[in-house]
Amino acid sequence: MLNDISLGRYIDTGSVLHKMDPRVKFVIYLLYLVAIFTMKSKIGILVTAVVVVLQIILSKMSPKNIWSTVKPILPITIFIVLLNLFTIKTGKTLWQWKFLQITTGGIDSAVFMGVRLIFLVLITSTMLTLSTTPLKISDALEKLLSPLKVIKVPVHEMAMMMSIALRFIPTLLDETDKIMKAQQSRGADYDTGSIINRLKGYVTVLIPLFISSFKRAEELAVAMDARCYRGGDGRTKLNPLKITSFDITWGAILLVGAAVIVVVNIVFK
Amino acid sequence: MDYEVIAEDIHFSYTSYDESEATEKRKAVDGMSLSIKKGSYTAILGPNGSGKSTFAKLIDILEVPESGVMKVFGYNTSDEEHFWDIRENCSYVFQNPDNQIVGTLVEEDVAFGPENLGIPTEELRRRVDEALTYVGLQDFAKKEAANLSGGQKQKLAIAGSLAMKPQLLILDESTAMLDPRSRDEFLSIVEKMNKEKGITVITITHDMSEASRCDDVYVVKNGKVFMHGVPSEIFAQKEKIKEASLELPEDIELYTELLDIVDEPVITSTLDSQEAMINSVASILPYKDMEDVNPEAKHEKKKNPYSGVVLSVKDLSFKYEDKGKLILDNINLDVNRGEVLAIVGKSGCGKTTLISHFNGLFKPQEGDVVFNSSSGDSYSTKNKKELLRIRHGIGLVFQYPEYQLFEDTVEKDIAYGLRKLNLSPEEKHTRVLEAISLVGLDEELLSQSPFELSGGQKRRVALAGVLVMKPEVLVLDEPASGLDPKGRRDMFALIRKLSDIGTTIILVSHNMDEAFRYTDRICCIKEGKIAELRDATALFMDKERVNELNLSFPHLVEFSDKIKAAIKKQMPYVVFEETQKNAKDEASAIIRSIKANVEVEHAK
Repeated sequence: MLNDISLGRYIDTGSVLHKMDPRVKFVIYLLYLVAIFTMKSKIGILVTAVVVVLQIILSKMSPKNIWSTVKPILPITIFIVLLNLFTIKTGKTLWQWKFLQITTGGIDSAVFMGVRLIFLVLITSTMLTLSTTPLKISDALEKLLSPLKVIKVPVHEMAMMMSIALRFIPTLLDETDKIMKAQQSRGADYDTGSIINRLKGYVTVLIPLFISSFKRAEELAVAMDARCYRGGDGRTKLNPLKITSFDITWGAILLVGAAVIVVVNIVFK
Repeated sequence: MDYEVIAEDIHFSYTSYDESEATEKRKAVDGMSLSIKKGSYTAILGPNGSGKSTFAKLIDILEVPESGVMKVFGYNTSDEEHFWDIRENCSYVFQNPDNQIVGTLVEEDVAFGPENLGIPTEELRRRVDEALTYVGLQDFAKKEAANLSGGQKQKLAIAGSLAMKPQLLILDESTAMLDPRSRDEFLSIVEKMNKEKGITVITITHDMSEASRCDDVYVVKNGKVFMHGVPSEIFAQKEKIKEASLELPEDIELYTELLDIVDEPVITSTLDSQEAMINSVASILPYKDMEDVNPEAKHEKKKNPYSGVVLSVKDLSFKYEDKGKLILDNINLDVNRGEVLAIVGKSGCGKTTLISHFNGLFKPQEGDVVFNSSSGDSYSTKNKKELLRIRHGIGLVFQYPEYQLFEDTVEKDIAYGLRKLNLSPEEKHTRVLEAISLVGLDEELLSQSPFELSGGQKRRVALAGVLVMKPEVLVLDEPASGLDPKGRRDMFALIRKLSDIGTTIILVSHNMDEAFRYTDRICCIKEGKIAELRDATALFMDKERVNELNLSFPHLVEFSDKIKAAIKKQMPYVVFEETQKNAKDEASAIIRSIKANVEVEHAK
C-alpha cells in the first residue's frame, strides 16, 4: 500500500531527462514553475498541457508511475478546488443554496488552481524527483548555492542532509508498513472509526517509527565516520557534474517549452 | 612478527546521562589485552554485552580507551597526529545493512568512502568498478541500493570498504542479520580478500561456526579475554565455551559426543577439519568393544494427539494488481491443532505473503483461509466482521518485533491487544501477568519503559504482547534472528513451552538447522506453490528430494551422514536408526545402531 507512493523515489528509465546535468534541470525547472504560474487562459491551459505531456513522454515514465505521483496530492487538490469554488464570489451567480454560492469566477479560479497544482506536481516529478537521484539533486543544490558559502551558509552540510533524508524515504516507508501490519495483527484498526480515533491509531505507528529513526541516525553517523567522512572539503566525486553540449541542446529545447507557455499566456489573456 | 593491532590492558565504560548529569557508568571493556597479526583472519567471539563490539570501535578510533594502550598499524590511537593514518586504512562493515548505506545508487554508495579520501575521479571510477566486480554486484551499479536484498546490501557494504583499499577490515556482526546462504557467500568474499589481497580481517561474532574459518580466535567475556587459541584449541574446551555462553558448531558437538559415549579422548588436532573428525571416528568406532558401552536408550516419540485442523488454507492465490505474476499460486494447506510446522523457502518465494493471509492482513483474492477455533466456530478471513476474532486466535509475530513497541510502560504495551475485548482492568492485569511470566520476564519490568530494556528483553515483551491475546495459533517469522546463542536457546525453549501447553506453532525460517530441530512438519514454498509438505526427519533423510528443492541440509544431518557412510565402509551390515534432532541424541543413536548390529552379527 505504502509502496505506491513515489515521493522521493527515483525510477531509472534512461531517458534524456535522466542524463541531463541536474543543475541545468534545476534552473529550467524553476523557470517552468514561473511559467505555470502565468497560466491565465483556456488556451494557456491547453498549450501548457501539451508541453507537460511532451515532457512526460520525454521522461519515458509509465502512466502508472505518473499516476502514483499525482495520487497522494489528490485530496489536497480537491480541497483547494472546492474551497475556490465556494469562496470566490465574482462574475455571474449560477447556483445558490443558503450561504453556498457558485459563481463563474469561482469555477474559473477552481479549475485554474486544480490544473496548476497537478501541472506543478507533474513537472516536479518528471524533471526532478523521478529522473534525478537524491544525491544528484543535492549535488546540484550544493553547486548552485555555493556562492552562499562566502556568508558562512553550510551549503555542503545542508545538501548532505537532504540527500540522506531522501535516501531513507523508501526504507522508512517499508518500516511503516511493517509496523502497521504488526499492530493490525494485534487488533489495531486504521480504517474505521472516527477521524480522531484513526489519528490516534497513527500515533502508535509514529512512535516506534521515530524511535527507530533515531537509532538508524545514530548508526549511520558512526558508519559515515568509519568511512572517513569529514565534511565537504577535499571530497572528490565519482560523477562530477559537467555541462556538455548535450545539456545545452536539451536545455535549450526545454526552455522553448517554457517560453511557449509564457508567450501564449501573455498573448491570449 | 608484525602486528596490526596491539591492545594492552584496555578499559572503557559507557556513561549514561540523566538530565545532563553523568549518573551511571557501565564497564564495557575491562582490561582487554590482545594482539592481532598482520594478514591474519581473527575472530573475536562473545555473547551480547561481552564488550566485543566496543572493543572493535576502539580499534577504528570511533571511541578512545579510558586507560591502556591501543596500537593500530604501530600508531597509538590516542595520538591525534595519526588519527587519519589509522582511520583511512581501516574499514568497517556493521550489522544492519540499511543503516550504513549512504548513496542512493549502488555505485554512489561504493564511492562514498574513497570520495571522502579525495581520490581523483578516474581512479574512483576504476576502484568502484573493480570493487563491485569483486563482490559480484557489477550488474547492479546503477540500481537503487534500497531495493537490494539483505545479503546484497552487505556485499555492497563490503565493496564500499574494498574501494577504500584498507589494510584492516573489521566485521562487526556483519552476518547476524543474513540468512545462511547469504552468510556463506559473504564470508567467502571476506576469505578471498584476506587470502588474495592480504587484508587483515577481524570478525566480531557470536557464531562459533564462523570462527572455524579463522586463523586465530579470542573469546571474550565480561570485557576481558577469556580464551585464546587456534580454532581447534578453542573447540576442544567444551565446558569453557559453555561458560562463555557460546555453543560448539553442531558437527564438532556430534563428534565430541560420540567419543564421550565410548569414553575416548578428543584429540585437539582432529577438530581442524571435518575429514579429520570423520577419519578419527572411522578409526575408533569399528574397533571398539561395545560391550561396556551404554548409550542412552531411544526416546519414544510422543504420538502427537492432533485433534483436527486449526487453520485451513483453500485454493489460495494472490497477486499484486500491476504485476501479472502470481505471488501465491493455488495454495492448499491444513495446519493441525497442536503441531509445530515450519515454512521454508528462498527469499521472495511468497512466505511472508502467505503468513500475512493467515490472520487476514491480506484478504484472499481467490480461495479462502479459515480458522477453526477450539470452541467449535469457524471464521473466514474473507469476512471483515470476523477479523478481530481471527486476529485474537491467530497471533502473528514478525521479524524483529522489538522495533514495534510504542507504549510508555511495558504493561500498557503488552495490554494493547486486549483493548477491544470487554475485560475489566483486573482481568487485563491478570492476563498481562500471565503473558509476562510465560515469556520468562520479571513482573517488576511492567512499570518500566520498554525502551530501557535490553534487546532480548524487548523481543520478549513484544512476544508477550501477542501471547496476551491467548492465541491458539502462533505464527513466528524468524523469531531468533539476530540473537546470540543463549538468546536463541531461550527463544526456542519458550516456543517449545508454548507448544507443550497446546499452542499450534508455525515457524518461518531460513535456517534449516532450526527447522529440522524444532518442528514436526516442513512446508517448502517455491515460486508461490507448496513444493513439499512432509515430516521434517523424513524429508531431510530423502537426499535427492532435498537437493531437488534446492534446500540446504541441516549441519547435523549432513555431518552425521558422512560419519555413517565412513562407518558403513568398514561395517556394511550396520543399519542406522533415523537421524535424531540434536547432536547428543544422534550420537547415542549411532552408537546404539552399531552396538545392536554388532551383537546380531556376532550371534550369526
